[in-house]
This record gives sequence, C-alpha cells and structure tokens, in this order.
Amino acid sequence: MSDKQRVSRRQFLNYTLTGVGGFMAAGMLAPMVRFAIDPVLKPSAAGDFQSVASVDEITNEPQRFEWIVEQVDGWYESEVQKTAWVYRTEDDEIVALSPICTHLGCTVDWASQEEYPDQFYCPCHAGRYTKDGVNVPGTPPTAPLPLFDHKVEEGMLYLGQEQDR
Amino acid sequence: MQWTRKDLSLYIKEKEYIDTLIIPLIPFNPASDSNVTKEAFQRELNQLFTHLLEKEYRGRIIVSPEYDYITGSNETEVHRINQWVERFQSQPLSHVFLFTFDPKWKKWEQALKGQLLWVPSMNERDLHSSETKSFVKEQVSQISELIKAYW
Repeated sequence: MSDKQRVSRRQFLNYTLTGVGGFMAAGMLAPMVRFAIDPVLKPSAAGDFQSVASVDEITNEPQRFEWIVEQVDGWYESEVQKTAWVYRTEDDEIVALSPICTHLGCTVDWASQEEYPDQFYCPCHAGRYTKDGVNVPGTPPTAPLPLFDHKVEEGMLYLGQEQDR
Repeated sequence: MQWTRKDLSLYIKEKEYIDTLIIPLIPFNPASDSNVTKEAFQRELNQLFTHLLEKEYRGRIIVSPEYDYITGSNETEVHRINQWVERFQSQPLSHVFLFTFDPKWKKWEQALKGQLLWVPSMNERDLHSSETKSFVKEQVSQISELIKAYW
C-alpha cells in the first residue's frame, strides 16, 4: 500500500480539471472544424445519375424520356424536369441526346418534319440535326446537341450530366 | 424567353430570330371572397401554361410581364393593352398573343391589337396531380400548334 505512488489532492484536481476542460474545448471545436471542412465532405452533384428508363424500352428509333432532378438555382430550389432523346445505335451503343437546340434553346423533335424523317428538327428556326446529334450545316445551330453521360445498371438506364461537344 | 435580365440581353443580340410575344392577361378582384381563390388558381394555371410554352419554344417566344386588371374592367382596359401591344410590336415583335382564361375578352376581341388566345379554364384542383399534368401538357401542345400556324 505504502509503496504505491500517492496522488495528492492538488494533482487529482489538476487531472480532473484538465480532463473536463479538454472535453469542453473539444465539444466547442468539433462543430467549428466540421463547418470549416463541410464543402469538402459534400457529395458532388455533378456525379448524380438518375434512373430514366428500362433498357428494354430503348429501340433504334429515338424516344423521348423524362425525369425529375432537384436543382438549386441561386435563390430557388426546385424540381426540374429533364428530357432526353434516347436510342440504340446499330452497334448496340446507347445514345442519349439533350433535346435543347444549341441555337437559342428551343426543344427539338425527332422526325417531326416530313421532308426530314431521319433528323432532329427544331420548330423555332428550322434547325436540323442528324440522328447522332450533329447539326446540319446551313441551318441556324452551330454546335451538335449535347450528349448525356450514361450508364446501365441492373437493366436500368441512368443519365447524368450533359456534355457539350 | 422570360422577362429577366439574362434572357433579355440575349434577346437584344438575337432579335432577328425572336418574333413572338405572349402577354398573360390575369383578372383579379381582391374585394370578392367568393372569387379570389378561383382567380388565384387561374393565375397559377396561366403561369404554368406560359412557362411550358416558353420552355418548349424559348428561342422564339418571349413571355411579357403579366398584365393584371380588376375583374370585369375589360372594356376600360382595352386601350391600355393596345398601348402595350404597340410598344412590343415596335421592337419589332410581329406576333403578339394575349393569353387568358377570362372569357369576357371574347367580346372585345376585335378591338384588341394582339391575337387573343382564350382557353377555357378548369375547376380548381391540384396542379401537381399526374392527371392535371397530362391534361395541361395536351392543351399546351395544341396551343403551340396554333402559335406555330402563325409562324
């Protein structure tokens, strides 16, 4: 008993106060640190894929698919409806095109004009795109339709961000 | 295009391509308890229609700030609406459509300088239900056919 190191009252109080003080400091600092590094921990929205359609539905003929994404635009948080023209190429590749005309932003339609049954047609200023989304020279658009990032998982098609070409 | 700084600055640059304007005509009577909700619903519906039209044809259509007036004052408003229309036409925006659910405009259609697009309204209901959505979409596509017939 007597050879054990004795803890004096002063030491005991010192240890306890340091311990309690440490916990309090940690309690105050932890949220601050969490706030400071928060942007790093947020999952990036850019990588968000949304399930759009079942792969069986996709044919060689472009079809219009719609889905909803959450969008924060300055002051407003809203649900935005997105649309894509999706089809399968001869080589069994899935192509998902944005329907937004690269000229002034109207919505293009597939084969809506009788004279051009295998092209995308913009009703606003008669802009045209071939099936792969490339603008037809001589019509108002100056760039091809953007392509959506896509992936297939468990028989479902997922679409992500659109990429300009 | 919407009546926002961003869209209008694009409009100024691309004027030659944009020739169509939609003015939403929206009646309201804040003194009438029995009609306020109905009129507010029609206003929401009007905004929804113009929003959908704008989204589909934003490269050629501008949606003007909404034109509000006290319910029933159609006759006295004709002159002021025509002033709006004339200003827009001088831009030049050659196709000016007046989009409304108020049937009283039909009587004054001849006096109006814009094309009246009167669409029958529907009963108050949830605008977000899928049934309403498909109905509105169908209506919008028919209205856009009508607008395209003028192009």
